[in-house]
Amino acid sequence: MLAEKTNTAQQVMDSLSGFAGKVNFISDAALADSLRYLETYGIPTNKHEDYKYCNLDAVLKREFKSLSAPAETGADINALRLEDTITLVMVNGVFREDLSDKTVLRGLHISSFTNLSEKEKTLLTQQANPKNDAFVALNTAFSGQGFFMTVERNTELMIPVHILYVSDSENPAMTHARNFIHVEDSATATVIEHFVNIKNCKVFSNFLSEKQIGNNARLTVYTLQDEGTAGYSVNTNQVELLRDAYYDNTTVTLSGQVVRNNHNVVLSGSNSQAHLYGLFKINGNQLVDNHTLMDHKVPHCESNELYKGIIDGKSTGVFNGKIFVRKDAQKTNAYQSSKNILLSDEATINTKPQLEIYADDVKCSHGTSTGKIDEQAMFYLNARGIGKESAARLLLQAFSGEVTDKLEVDSVKQLVEQRLNYLAV
Amino acid sequence: MSNELLEQHLKKDYEWGFTTDIDTDTFAPGLTEDVVRALSKKKQEPEWLLEFRLKAFRAWQNMPEPNHWAHLPYPKIDYQSISYYSAPKVKPTLNSLDEVDPELLKTFEKLGISLEEQKRLTGVSSNIAVDAVFDSVSVKTTFRETLAEKGIIFCSFSEAVQEHPELIKKYMAMVVPATDNYFAALNSAVFSDGSFCYIPKGVRCPMELSTYFRINASGTGQFERTLIVADEGSYVSYLEGCTAPQRDENQLHAAVVEIIAHKNAEVKYSTVQNWYPGDKDGKGGIYNFVTKRGICLEENSKISWTQVETGSAITWKYPSVILKGDNSVGEFYSVAVTNNKQEADTGTKMIHIGKNTRSTIISKGISAGYSNNSYRGLVQVRKGATNARNFSQCDSLLMSDTSGAHTFPYIEIKDKSAVVEHEATTSKIGEDQLFYCKQRGIDTEKAIGLIVNGYCKEVLNKLPMEFAVEAQKLLAISLEGSVG
Repeated sequence: MLAEKTNTAQQVMDSLSGFAGKVNFISDAALADSLRYLETYGIPTNKHEDYKYCNLDAVLKREFKSLSAPAETGADINALRLEDTITLVMVNGVFREDLSDKTVLRGLHISSFTNLSEKEKTLLTQQANPKNDAFVALNTAFSGQGFFMTVERNTELMIPVHILYVSDSENPAMTHARNFIHVEDSATATVIEHFVNIKNCKVFSNFLSEKQIGNNARLTVYTLQDEGTAGYSVNTNQVELLRDAYYDNTTVTLSGQVVRNNHNVVLSGSNSQAHLYGLFKINGNQLVDNHTLMDHKVPHCESNELYKGIIDGKSTGVFNGKIFVRKDAQKTNAYQSSKNILLSDEATINTKPQLEIYADDVKCSHGTSTGKIDEQAMFYLNARGIGKESAARLLLQAFSGEVTDKLEVDSVKQLVEQRLNYLAV
Repeated sequence: MSNELLEQHLKKDYEWGFTTDIDTDTFAPGLTEDVVRALSKKKQEPEWLLEFRLKAFRAWQNMPEPNHWAHLPYPKIDYQSISYYSAPKVKPTLNSLDEVDPELLKTFEKLGISLEEQKRLTGVSSNIAVDAVFDSVSVKTTFRETLAEKGIIFCSFSEAVQEHPELIKKYMAMVVPATDNYFAALNSAVFSDGSFCYIPKGVRCPMELSTYFRINASGTGQFERTLIVADEGSYVSYLEGCTAPQRDENQLHAAVVEIIAHKNAEVKYSTVQNWYPGDKDGKGGIYNFVTKRGICLEENSKISWTQVETGSAITWKYPSVILKGDNSVGEFYSVAVTNNKQEADTGTKMIHIGKNTRSTIISKGISAGYSNNSYRGLVQVRKGATNARNFSQCDSLLMSDTSGAHTFPYIEIKDKSAVVEHEATTSKIGEDQLFYCKQRGIDTEKAIGLIVNGYCKEVLNKLPMEFAVEAQKLLAISLEGSVG
């Protein structure tokens, strides 16, 4: 195992030697930490507790030799735009200002990584620690031209921001998109993070987003993952909430061969609130692994998680959620729920809901359930003349509804419902 | 208010902390292949058993000590500083209780398991057959003759090796292979004694069988094995209890318990674990690393684990059931209490292999003082385990802001007809519940006892009568004054 690890690490080191100098927006210290982590630990295999059900090392070694791809795409970006949104475009991990909308929205400020102010520079890499995770380290070492989005103090963005992450590469390649979303004090924003794989090409997208939500600020994020049947991705979200802040994320996984979501939320200001919702419907050999961490650092915070999965074919669903309540975080309310439906005998679901609690005056709970389509409900519908297949579709739609109802932007909801395709005959 | 009560409790002594001054025959500390051979020779074991020990020992030497995954910080154990055999110097064979060292009998009387009394009360109120294991050796098994009439074999493990080698050979290490894990391998290499129980076809064991473990000598470890075989259509309820003297050093207890249930058989295994937990600063106490596993080998069999864990400085214990036979049932009921500096990482594994298998897990954790209490469990439904059903509930109660309660459930499902549910909650005793009791004239201390007992009721109800009473008392003592 050691030899294999060294191979992956060596490959990274080799590629980096000609590349490292270009990433001037990442501090030398962070870069050094990333490299040291990769050299010491390599890419996690399934021996690593956090990647027990998701062996990405094997995939990376086998398929992805190239650690970047040119930021070019022949795709028609206009076809991907959503109504009444501001569109920002990243291609293969590089921010393309030329393809993005010119922002004239009051309170919204976008700067490319090459153009960061000193203040932005200090914020960058403050949330995601390359010393904790190989993919954060990889991204820190390799991220190209990302962008820094600021929602200015006391402003409310009237239109959602639609960020398109486009994967388009002839050859198998790994890409490293990265951004920082800073919602300043008392600001409000809605962001749609939309991942698309244009020609269903073999791309490993290693995405990292750092988000900081200021005092009394609100951020709602809808994440749509549509990496196609050949796309692999690791999506890391490192979110920090300050006092009275509110964060709400709904992640819908529409496609992707292997999708790993690391959603880490740190509640570091009192009376802050975080909600995570997730939905995936998978088939074939797909693997979707949702990893969440709710880190309650201070008193009087609330967190809530609901993840739902529909697993068909030979696919595998994973949910690993951790609620971490530190010693000082009294009066914490934290809830977590994972519900899954297995549709085939070859399908697998692994769940690991964890509670780690060091404060006594808290209310924390988690629940997980796995089953098949309810036979009674099925009978009820059959008895009313609805055929088996339509009835199953209706029931699955109802099952998903609890999550899709959280999508409050109409164009997003429509897109999801159309892609989930329950109503097609 | 609470500080005072807490003080009171913290000053409370471990009631079973005495030592017994009797002659023992103890090996010098250290573990080598020669020690394993000497041990085997001392017990006049057959060749195959020595081979088994040596195989386990060699495997153990090459195994890394598992200390990275459990939520248990403890200093490295020096396996060479432990003596692997300690036995009271008793006559080689004992026919009646009169021949047992009177000091020993006194010890058991202090522990509340008077062997003599039980002999007198045959078949009356305390209807339990006891196998008492003192340090490394089983000293006396009561009721042997009565049980033998029904064909039930209940004796010490060493005797079973001599008298029923065919059964031991057939069933030993069937569920826990010698190289299963680090501590099971260690046990397989150096186990000194334990209990063996065989219930023949169609027999319902007329009384509760019980093993009482006691570590007495200092600087020793205790490594015993329990093997229970329930043949077709039989039933047995088995109890296990344990205590140890109060010492500043940490002593190691690494046991293996195996249960085999044949067609239509049922085994109920109850434990009240009360090893010395160490003092209030976490000095001393037993390190308890136990591998317990049962297999429902054939259809309609049932294995039920019930445990009340209040002792030990470190508890590492996962009683498991492999549901191999169709329609088999596995149950796990647990109350784990940690106080002061205790650390517990305990739970269960339910492996569904047969069709229509069912399992239930109820785990109640209570953490007080500076302790950490973790539930770690696995529910696995293999492919082809049609209509498997599991329900798990893990509740934690926090009694202080310096303690921790953690839940690490693993759920792996590979069959679509499986229905698996898991719930967990963590909270402290409700202010409103306390207020309700106090308003009705029940003081804080009693109210807490009442609430905790209610909280654990689902588990305590599963214990046999004699144990339920002891367990309730233990709970009350363990938690006295620990709520703020």
